[in-house]
Amino acid sequence: MPDAVSLRLSNVQAWYGDSQSLFGVGFAVRPGEVTCLVGRNGAGKTTILRAIMGLLPRQTGSIVLSGRDASGMRPYERTRFGIGYCPEERAIFASLTVEENLALPPAVCAAGMAKADIFALFPNLRTRGRHYGDQLSGGEQQMLAIARILRTGAQTLLLDEPTEGLAPVIVRQIEQVVIELKRRGYTILLVEQNLDFVLHLADRVVAIENGAVVDDLETRGGEHIKARLLERLAL
Amino acid sequence: MMDLILGYLTIGLVNGSFYALLSLGLALIFGLLNILNMTHGVLYMMGAFAAWAGSRYLGLGYFGGLVFAPLCVAVFGIILERSLLRRTYGLDPLYGFMLTFGAAMVVQGGFHAYFGSTGLPYAAPDWLSGGVDLGFLYFPAYRLWVVAVALVICVVVWIAITRTRLGSILRASSENAAAAEALGVGVPRVFAATFALGAALAGLAGALAAPIYQVSPLMGSDILLVVFAIIVIGGMGSIGGTIASSYALALIESLTQALVPQAASFIVFAFMCVVLLLRPQGLFGISVVRSHEFLAARLPWIEPADKATATGRLTGMAPAFAAVAALLVLPMLLYPVYLMKIFCFTIFAASFNFLLGFAGIMSFGQAALFGTAAYLTAHAAREWALPPEAAIGVGIASALVLGLVMGIFAIRRRGIYQAMITLAIAQMVYFAYVQASFTHGEDGIQSVPRGMLLGLIDLRNDTNVYWLSAAAMLGVLFGLRRLINSPFGMMLIAIRDNERRALSLGHNVDGYKLAAFGIAAFCAGVAGSMSAIVFQLATLSGVHWHLSGEAVLMALIGGIGTFGGPLIGAAVLVTMQHFLSPFGAWIVAIQGSVFVLCVLLFRDGLLPHVRALAANLRRQDATPKAVGTPQAVEAIGR
Repeated sequence: MPDAVSLRLSNVQAWYGDSQSLFGVGFAVRPGEVTCLVGRNGAGKTTILRAIMGLLPRQTGSIVLSGRDASGMRPYERTRFGIGYCPEERAIFASLTVEENLALPPAVCAAGMAKADIFALFPNLRTRGRHYGDQLSGGEQQMLAIARILRTGAQTLLLDEPTEGLAPVIVRQIEQVVIELKRRGYTILLVEQNLDFVLHLADRVVAIENGAVVDDLETRGGEHIKARLLERLAL
Repeated sequence: MMDLILGYLTIGLVNGSFYALLSLGLALIFGLLNILNMTHGVLYMMGAFAAWAGSRYLGLGYFGGLVFAPLCVAVFGIILERSLLRRTYGLDPLYGFMLTFGAAMVVQGGFHAYFGSTGLPYAAPDWLSGGVDLGFLYFPAYRLWVVAVALVICVVVWIAITRTRLGSILRASSENAAAAEALGVGVPRVFAATFALGAALAGLAGALAAPIYQVSPLMGSDILLVVFAIIVIGGMGSIGGTIASSYALALIESLTQALVPQAASFIVFAFMCVVLLLRPQGLFGISVVRSHEFLAARLPWIEPADKATATGRLTGMAPAFAAVAALLVLPMLLYPVYLMKIFCFTIFAASFNFLLGFAGIMSFGQAALFGTAAYLTAHAAREWALPPEAAIGVGIASALVLGLVMGIFAIRRRGIYQAMITLAIAQMVYFAYVQASFTHGEDGIQSVPRGMLLGLIDLRNDTNVYWLSAAAMLGVLFGLRRLINSPFGMMLIAIRDNERRALSLGHNVDGYKLAAFGIAAFCAGVAGSMSAIVFQLATLSGVHWHLSGEAVLMALIGGIGTFGGPLIGAAVLVTMQHFLSPFGAWIVAIQGSVFVLCVLLFRDGLLPHVRALAANLRRQDATPKAVGTPQAVEAIGR
């Protein structure tokens, strides 16, 4: 019987060199839901996403993707379970054009988003097909980074602070895209600093502190959730 | 005159074709795997042998060989990549470099031992014999064919990389392999395929070259450095630039051959030097993406400074007493010349170890300093009849001057670019000595008189030379240690760990680096001068880049950044050369496999392993209190 979650972490520990950065992280992401990771800088949010992709030098514990244990698999094998990772630094290939960046990832499932659809979501990219990655603005790079994983057909999206360092108008545009993706039924694990946006969007919030989960709550509770998170994170 | 120049131009075009096929593969491998593939020359040689073997044992025709050779070499490349190279990914580029250096020794040594150094003939097909009259120029048909094939292949590869999806996967993986893999690209397969492609191109070049040059095990060893120079000049990461500069440099090289034959072997390296200084990204490169620094990460096993307690000082002296005792006993047990060779090589390895381990400077040119000192000491002692101390002084001074010149240029760049500048200068020095008359070419300067040291000590006595070289070694080792623990040494280590920080604190970083170059050159000079006195000989092998490679090997085997590492590394290397001599021609292959094993098993060098073993033994003697504490459990967990 398949697991009723898209993604489950249990007792994940990770190290950078000799220093441990995750101490037994465990939580689950259900299909179709938006789960937000919140926490202060350096709490380990990005490390959790990197651990899910298997990008850390050393990690233990189990990571289950779509009901299959992916621990020990290489990053590219994990993407075959329909998981798409959009890293904080965006990792747009500077030596590739926008079109090449879009065409690069191998399709992991048949449901890859069509180009027309992508350009409807991100109108800014439409005219930039032949430009190289390093000729794009920060906002365009972010859009391309999200568009790139939608092309693969990934159903579970790991988005690491997609609005960081962008102009307010672009931030709203990206937020609209994330809302639209949720409406279309994508499963999303989002790292985000803006609590108002988190509470507006998320079905579930996981608070991280010092490399461990300190709170895991459903957001249906409304306003008092915000108070609790603010207290929790001492923001 | 015009005919002569045109004739040389055809040679240039043909050489350019080989350079292009080789540099293309080398550049792809370097761009993606971040490995300076020292096996590339060997892959080229294997291509020629595969074509020859295909025709001899399988009855393949010329065209069969042209397909068969690249396939064979590609399969070899995949096996090499999957079984050995893969283990160095994510490590310092130095390890990949040393691993391929060892693997190249294994293959070249094996082929040399099996086939000997005389070339095997390989015929071109009949319809390609004769020549084509192009009106202004008579072009031998086979050479025209080589140029045509190489150009077509280069253009196909170029289009495949810049225009196709496979090419974009390769470019993306070169730029950021982790990001490409997180997007689902099967990066391990891309790595294997790229190495195979590079190997196949080298194999094709070898098969094409077989009818022109004889099929010989040594055919790839000198072309390798030229090809390195070409990818630096063309600009790493620029495929078109690599192809263009291959042809351009081959043409320049052959034109120089026609006009100033003496300068032909220099020109490529001189060109590389100038390009690196004026435009480090290469002629066609856009920007320096990575400087490919060596040992950019902190070395964890650097020895801490001496503790100042009285007992600490005493126990610290114990190894020194043991060393002196060993020095007294050893000549009674072992052949003194063997020991003296170890001492000379220890000094030489210490010079490289100091530069890389403590100053973070990678030099591929240490042999030029060693050889210069050896030549000048030998010349001064023999022709000018100087006493040994003066001859040694002349040798060391000349190495110091050359080292400072090398340093003035090299400190302007970092990482691989820096190493390439030292290599270029060393190659120019080598070719200068090949042509200079006082070096007596292949024979070298022989029967160098040892004379009377300070007019008192008769160096014709082996025991006296033994003590002189032992004193030189101890002086260099302890002198370097003293230096490293001084404020000057601390500054060098600080610059190695974070150059920008040191610069922003107002330190004269360039001055410190130049001083480090000078000190290392001084030590290499001591090693070279001592070797001239000890062996009464100075030859071209003392200047050859292979010796620079051996310096890297010795330092790596012993443990880079350790005090006693160079001694262990030199002892291992010299002992192998000494005791493997019954194996005759196979010695190089055996040495190469030992190096490969060292890189795979003892990456930090032997010394830290020996020390850890000793510490373990000591811990077993100690009270078992430590076992069971959280720290110990954690250590076991790792």
